[in-house]
Amino acid sequence: MLKYLIKRVLLMIPMLIGISLISFFIMHLAPGDITSNETAFNPKASEESRQKLRQMYNLDKPVIVQYGLWLKRMATLDFGNSFASHQKPVFWEKTDKDGNVTKGMVQEALPITLLINVLGLFITLALAVPLGIIAARKHMGWQDKSITLFNFIGFSIPGFWLSLLLMYWLGVVNNWLPISGIHSLNYETLSTWGKIKDTLSHLMMPVIIPSVTGLAGITLFIKNGMLDVLQQDYITTARAKGLNEHRVIYTHALRNALLPLITIIGLSIPGLIGGSVIAETIFAIPGMGKLFYDAVLMRDFPVVMGVLTIGAALTLIGNLLADIAYAWADPRVRRGVAR
Amino acid sequence: MQSGRINLHYALLTGILLLLTSCQKEPAEEITVSYEEKHLPVEGGILISSMSSDPSSLIYMIAGESASAAITSNIFNGLLKYDKNLDLESDLAEHWEISADKKTITFTLKPNLKWADDKPLTSADVLFTWQAVIDPKNASPYASDFGLVKQAEAPNERTFRVSYDQPYAPALDSWAGLQILPKHLLEGQDLHTTAFTRKPVGSHYYQLADWKHGQNITLTRNPNSVLGPARIERLVTRIIPDNSAQFLELMADNIDSMGLDPIKYSRIIPARPELQKKLNLYKELGNSYTYLGFNLKHKPFDDVRVRKAINYAIDKQEIIDGVYLGLGINIASPYKPGTRWSNPDLKPHPYDPAKARQLLKEAGFTDTDGDGMLERDGKPLAFEIITNNGNKEREKTAVFIQRKLKEIGIDVSIRTIEWASFISRFIKTGDFDVVILGWGLGLDPDQFNIWHSSQQAPGQFNFIGYNNPTVDRLLEQGRTELDPDKRKKIYHEFAKVLLDDSPIVYLSAGYGLSAIHKRVQGIIDPIPPAGVGYDSHKWYVPVPLRRNEIAEN
Repeated sequence: MLKYLIKRVLLMIPMLIGISLISFFIMHLAPGDITSNETAFNPKASEESRQKLRQMYNLDKPVIVQYGLWLKRMATLDFGNSFASHQKPVFWEKTDKDGNVTKGMVQEALPITLLINVLGLFITLALAVPLGIIAARKHMGWQDKSITLFNFIGFSIPGFWLSLLLMYWLGVVNNWLPISGIHSLNYETLSTWGKIKDTLSHLMMPVIIPSVTGLAGITLFIKNGMLDVLQQDYITTARAKGLNEHRVIYTHALRNALLPLITIIGLSIPGLIGGSVIAETIFAIPGMGKLFYDAVLMRDFPVVMGVLTIGAALTLIGNLLADIAYAWADPRVRRGVAR
Repeated sequence: MQSGRINLHYALLTGILLLLTSCQKEPAEEITVSYEEKHLPVEGGILISSMSSDPSSLIYMIAGESASAAITSNIFNGLLKYDKNLDLESDLAEHWEISADKKTITFTLKPNLKWADDKPLTSADVLFTWQAVIDPKNASPYASDFGLVKQAEAPNERTFRVSYDQPYAPALDSWAGLQILPKHLLEGQDLHTTAFTRKPVGSHYYQLADWKHGQNITLTRNPNSVLGPARIERLVTRIIPDNSAQFLELMADNIDSMGLDPIKYSRIIPARPELQKKLNLYKELGNSYTYLGFNLKHKPFDDVRVRKAINYAIDKQEIIDGVYLGLGINIASPYKPGTRWSNPDLKPHPYDPAKARQLLKEAGFTDTDGDGMLERDGKPLAFEIITNNGNKEREKTAVFIQRKLKEIGIDVSIRTIEWASFISRFIKTGDFDVVILGWGLGLDPDQFNIWHSSQQAPGQFNFIGYNNPTVDRLLEQGRTELDPDKRKKIYHEFAKVLLDDSPIVYLSAGYGLSAIHKRVQGIIDPIPPAGVGYDSHKWYVPVPLRRNEIAEN
């Protein structure tokens, strides 16, 4: 088992290098660089100065040389500095010789995105698991049908449209919830409890809307898993033993039905750091999605590569964790690996 | 038992839903104050506005983008500034003299200037700023104007002198645009990475109090402001990328001012009495115009008759009515109408399809095969208009043009491309037939970089390939002529040649539209050429009209 783990971890290194190489080249396939931004069209800004900027960032060198420079930096876990924000560190804070701390871009964007996504995943699961069980128990009944209907309505409604409507209704018409941003302007003056309340009320819409619209997939997973399990012989056996329905469902069936959920959660780990561009734009949340999207538009290569690399590493780790968790939860898998 | 469990689920679900909806605030009390009542000027208060993106840096000569200018123009001064009629007046400089040979400008600073940190502001700071902007290491996008300075010196604390190899008329405009930076805080620092970009010290009405990246930027009054105190105590700029979300915040009274598009200005707000009650709407001449530019190196756009025909075939008023809901004007020269540089005798090409057909016939385009489309030597008159995506006005304008040109037998297709690709793949390489783009209506009339035939290399701005010796000569003259009246004649002549030659079709200059909450008073009326924000330091928020939650702090 330990050997297997070490092998898996070591395999991740060439995989990461391969992913980064492909990402780097695809990124450079798009025409333009950091100098093709807004000032590229200001007649007062000269081509000469843009050329200087290209030299400063080594953009005049061949792509493979630029990749080499990037890889060399990455070997020391240095994600580099952003072009577009004039040399802000991409990943984590750096202190200059005068003791001024400049916060990293990912460092600033990550906490809020993580908070939103973890809360969102929690709410999705908290709703999807009971809904899936009810749908399976009452398969083809009215409960099942109305849950399916509800899920598909949520699935089909464009999130940005629902967001704008709710922002209007909850924020403008009724003044129940703040419309955008993550803190009120007087946030600093609030008590700790006031700060928590303020943040939660700001996060209400950005967390709940995607959770509800994203409910359909997971509910279906649970429902189908449950239906499969309920067909199995051992459930019939359990019922034949005279166990009450509660124990049959929750002790015997549910544990097996939840196995696919491990894969889903494992695969959603990289998703936790990638925010939704649309939601973050509409709700004015300075998170990872907006950071990445703006970086792509600005051709801010160090930021694009930084976010992609972190995402790739987390995907690989998520896969590994899912596999380990599977082995831990399911003795059949464990025996397979050991053999 | 079973159904009991199921009911428990329902109870749980309902509970979660209830919990989610229970965190509600009490509805705000009905507003009873009248915003119509006029109050006397008073100091203090807060003005909240919004912007769609964070500045990349608060040193404008490095950042270069409009988001940075919006904030830094409240923090830093130039040597000169534009007054409400767009003439130059003193800012840090008390007065300035131009030598007899017109090659040297001597600026004398006002006495006893101070930075916000109480250190004296002297000509050494000006000299330092000039050195910084031309330093190749800083790669400032605005270096070119200042690179023409042959020599700059600061002989004493209040005198700053620059000399040029030959008279350079746009020089004063360039010195009005350069924000002076403090030497004592920046000497020896890398202007890209220095902590100063995130906590600047300036000399203007405001200083930075707090900057939460991606959320908001707060400025407070600078006690050492070189132009005297502003009235409003705090300016807060919230970063809200989405325009609809900004508007919802405006409706909910959480921000005081924002720029509007024509639909919000002329349809949405007038249709809602509750918004009309609390918002003032402002309309001013915009700072840019939209044009249709021909690639003059491609056939048939090298033929002036074809360019003029297309100009006559486009109904500009239809575009203004359809795209801008009437909130724009026709222009006939690349200058703000009504200002000194705009030639009042010039009239835009009218919509005249018959004349367009006539001109195309003269150029050899006829409908030989009877399909309604024009051909010359068996080749149809067809081309592609490209523009950048995401600019709805330009995209709609392209569609109007497509239909009008089809009516006279020209087959036009439209393509929109993401900005960075658009610039590097199409404009820089000259790989296009016709573009729809915009240029600014600059305050200085010099447009050498856009129209002079020497400015055609990749990345330069005469990408349409315009080459007219008369225009070249006028542009060169205009750059070295410092006498305003003679200069005016030169640029009036330049605009006339340009209009006759039709290398681009002026489509429209949209108005700048904005809404400001009525709690903000003292706004200049009528709006001067310099715009509604021209003397925003005189704006004030009367105490009874201030927001409750913020007054408490």
